[in-house]
Amino acid sequence: MSPAAGTAGFREVRLPELPSVPRLLAQAAATAARERITGGARPDGLPAVRHTVADVQVDLEQLTRFQHLVGGTVRDTLPSAFLHTAAFPVAMSVLARGDFPLPLPGLVHLANRVSQRRPVHFIEPLAFSAWVENLRGHHAGTRVDVRTEVSAAGGTVWEGRSEYLAKGVFRPGLDSTERPPREDFRPPVPTARWWLGPEAGRDYAAVSGDFNPIHLSTLSARLLGMKRSIAHGMYLAARVLADLEAAAGGSHEWEIRFAAPVYLPAAVALRIEDLAGNGHWTGSRFTGWGEHSRRLHFTGTVSALA
Amino acid sequence: MATAPQSQPIRDAVVIGGNRIPFARANSAYTGASNQDMLTAALDGLVARFGLQDERIGEVAAGAVLKHSRDFNLTREAVLGSALSPETPVYDLQQACATGLETVIGLANKIKLGQIESAVAGGVDSASDAPIAVSEGLRTVLLELGRARSTKQKLAALARLRPRDLAPHAPSTAEPRTGLSMGEHQALTTAAWKITREAQDELALASHANLAAAYGRGFFDDLITPYRGQLRDGNLRPDTSLEKLAKLQPVFGKSLGEEATMTAGNSTPLTDGASAVLLGSEDYARRNDLPMLARVVDAEAAAVDFVHGREGLLMAPAYAVPRLLERNGLSLPDFDFVEIHEAFAGTVLCHLAAWESEEFCRNKLGLDSPLGSVDRNRLNVAGSSLAAGHPFAATGGRIVATLAKLLHEQAGAEGRRGRGLISICAAGGQGVAAILEAC
Repeated sequence: MSPAAGTAGFREVRLPELPSVPRLLAQAAATAARERITGGARPDGLPAVRHTVADVQVDLEQLTRFQHLVGGTVRDTLPSAFLHTAAFPVAMSVLARGDFPLPLPGLVHLANRVSQRRPVHFIEPLAFSAWVENLRGHHAGTRVDVRTEVSAAGGTVWEGRSEYLAKGVFRPGLDSTERPPREDFRPPVPTARWWLGPEAGRDYAAVSGDFNPIHLSTLSARLLGMKRSIAHGMYLAARVLADLEAAAGGSHEWEIRFAAPVYLPAAVALRIEDLAGNGHWTGSRFTGWGEHSRRLHFTGTVSALA
Repeated sequence: MATAPQSQPIRDAVVIGGNRIPFARANSAYTGASNQDMLTAALDGLVARFGLQDERIGEVAAGAVLKHSRDFNLTREAVLGSALSPETPVYDLQQACATGLETVIGLANKIKLGQIESAVAGGVDSASDAPIAVSEGLRTVLLELGRARSTKQKLAALARLRPRDLAPHAPSTAEPRTGLSMGEHQALTTAAWKITREAQDELALASHANLAAAYGRGFFDDLITPYRGQLRDGNLRPDTSLEKLAKLQPVFGKSLGEEATMTAGNSTPLTDGASAVLLGSEDYARRNDLPMLARVVDAEAAAVDFVHGREGLLMAPAYAVPRLLERNGLSLPDFDFVEIHEAFAGTVLCHLAAWESEEFCRNKLGLDSPLGSVDRNRLNVAGSSLAAGHPFAATGGRIVATLAKLLHEQAGAEGRRGRGLISICAAGGQGVAAILEAC
């Protein structure tokens, strides 16, 4: 996953500062609305650009609120999910580009894969970069990977790949994949339960800056075609990671794959278990599901970096 | 010229006796009595029983699980309000439901080392007078207001207040890291060990029958002092039966469907109460013409990882007991009495099943063969928490005093020094075990 290999030939767009997510969302919504009226066409391919922001300083108060909200410990090192959140505006700025082929409003988060190479102290100035790749078909629309990198002191410390789906958008030249057979989900024995109130989305938006309306209220979510607001995928991941951060230490990798969205309010049942049964931590597997609906919400793993 | 203190060989610490107030179901007889009030009552009863009026005890240690922040010096305040000498030093201790037993262990160790001659170990809890806290939102705003200097800053802090922040927060028995209550955790463990509803109800019935019989023969006459009109444990149902217990609906593990087996009958209720145990060196007991019931032989604590699905929340004593037995070269049949705290009937039965399981003993304990079985005729013979109730930190003192007296009675009747084992599970995946031996 070296940056040079993935983005050779990409044009670097240096942003003067972290962009504002609400402004990007508003801009993307305006573009999408304009296109609906004018029928303006988007390009078929992905923009070969890499957006970067240098010298970002973490806001200590925001870090504290993030750590508390996800049930973690207030430490001086940055939670892996916090780095995702901190770099998120840069990733958004790529998705909000006029030449990005998919409409940003309504993009659905399918999965994340993150590799954190070393502990990052809050005092370190960080550089974020983001680009998109791997536009491909999906049985329900079109998929794309958003890649994000965090570097400090000249070296990459964190790499993330987020998979998004534009539901109902089918681009020419991309094969629609077969819908995989739905697997029967039998809930395992839980190890925890989270009560997520209707405010869970607003609370996470406040510490993460991700003010996507689908997370904020029933009303704003309905405007985007959801029946109620849903929890942020990264909030769910961050809560699991908070349970495992002490075991995982500063260098680890994790992935999460989302199934049914968590409509708020919700009782989410969780199981965390060791990957290996020898009593020494090498990694954990986790599963989240609706305590009452018994529908699978997410699965994933956290493991020590090889 | 001052001489260096001689290092002393370790000596015995003995249980001299105990006193508790009857345990009352929450929101009954002790409504309005605080932890400090009840602990003081238990101490004063102990003072009266053993003539400790105005005596400077070596050290008193006690604690509560549900504790007001104003009770930062709970035990010291109770001692100052008691008939003990105000010059008695004190410390507070908190180890969830193992608090009471741990105070006995810590103080017995000080006696063994010659640091003190006498000690009072205790514990108290009130579910009726539980501390209620403000929400995190309101607390943050109030702290911010305290830091604010200008009116503008104060208004900015107040503007952060949301209506939902005004709801008070009462303590719950939910584990902070899992959000599952203790009963829900145990329900999962009970189902995993395939413990039946009938087996749990039988254990609950035995607890009530044994406690009622112990009252019947006057066993508690010198262990309990009435308080606020409560003469005996308010949860005791001498006339309960398997039929009555079978009629109760499951309250925990309902998401388990058919497998939900835990009812209000085979789980402990929220309870108010306090207990105290008098400990001393043999020399102290002889000098003061006090009885010596049992020696505190040894103890072991254990903890399990329930957050990451490795073990059930309340299973730590299943690990503490085998380590304790190995260090002392003992096995389960070497004990005349076994006291396993009945947080839930399922907890006791899961422990018994684990120690009988070859797989558990091999894979989890590293033993070549099962630890063995506990003779049910030696288990909780004077009743336990299902019948008596369970004011969290007071349970250890109840069990130590009960077991010490049982051992003393047996020694008197049979002329031999019997042994007793104590096992107590605690929140946070902890457990403490101890061995007493008749004097």
